Amino acid sequence: MRIRDIALIGILSAIITAGKLALSFIPNVEVVTLLFIAYTMVFGYKKALLIAVVFTTTEIFIYGFSTWLLGYYLIWPILIMVTELLKKRAKSEYGYAIIGAIFGYTFGFFFAVVESLFYGVAYGWVYWIRGLLFDLVHGTSNFIIILILLKPIVDILNRLKRTYYGV
Amino acid sequence: MNKKLIAILSVLVVTVLLFVGYKTFLSPKGVEGQKAVTIQVINKNEDVDETFQYNTDHEFLLELLEEKEEELGVTFEHYDIGTMVTGMLGYVANPENQEYFHVYINGEDAMTGPGEIPLNDGDTYIFELKNY
Repeated sequence: MRIRDIALIGILSAIITAGKLALSFIPNVEVVTLLFIAYTMVFGYKKALLIAVVFTTTEIFIYGFSTWLLGYYLIWPILIMVTELLKKRAKSEYGYAIIGAIFGYTFGFFFAVVESLFYGVAYGWVYWIRGLLFDLVHGTSNFIIILILLKPIVDILNRLKRTYYGV
Repeated sequence: MNKKLIAILSVLVVTVLLFVGYKTFLSPKGVEGQKAVTIQVINKNEDVDETFQYNTDHEFLLELLEEKEEELGVTFEHYDIGTMVTGMLGYVANPENQEYFHVYINGEDAMTGPGEIPLNDGDTYIFELKNY
C-alpha cells in the first residue's frame, strides 16, 4: 500500500465521520450507507473495508466503547461486500437504493442479535421492537438519499480519483 | 412523472402505512381511568428505601413522574429514543461510577423507558440505583 492510499483512506473515513456528525440531529437519517456504497463502487472493496475499520475505530474515540460498536465492525463490511457483489450486476442506482433500504430496515434487527448475545434474547427482542420506527425511517431515508445522491457522488469521486492517481 | 419521484413517493406511502400499523398494533397502550400505584426508590449508597402511593389518571409512568417531579426529586435525560430517569430523590446517578436507576415492574425488569411503561392498577414500580 502506498502513502497516497493511506492518506486517501484517512480523508475518506474523515468525510464519513463528518457526514455522520453533521446529520446526527436527525435520528437515523445518515449518509454513511451512501458513502460506503459510493466508496466501494469507486475505490473497490479493499480500500472501503479499511475505511470502515478507521471509521468504526474513530466512533469508539468519539462515543467510548460499547457493545453496539462491535456490530459496526461487522455491519459496514457486510454492506461493502454486498455492494461489491452487486457492482457487476447493478446497472442503475435503483439496485443500490434497494440494498440501502433493506440495510436500514434490518439495521435494528442486526444489532438486536448482537445485543442479545450480551444481554439475553428478551432484551434483544425488545430492543428490536422498540426500534422498529427508527429502522423504518432509516430504510426509507437511505432509499431516497441513495436514489438522489449516489450517481452525482460517484461521478465526482471518479473525477477526483483520476486527478488524485493521475490516471 | 419522473420515475425517481414515483419510486420515492411509493416508498413514502408504504412507510406511512407501516408507521400507522406499528402505532396501531405494536406500540404500548395505556389504560384509562383511576389507578392506585406504588413507586419505591431504593438507593443503598444513601441508605434510602422509600415508598410512595399514588392515585392517578395518567396512562404512562413518565407522566406520573413528571407530575410528581418535585416530590420524587426526579432528574430526566431526554434522548431521541425517549426519556431516561437519571436521578431519584435528589440523587443523580453518576455514569463515571457506572451508576444508573434500574426499573422493576412488580419485581420484573422493565424492558422499556418510563415513557413506554403503561400504568396498571395495583402495580409497583421500583427505581433501584445499580451499577452496570
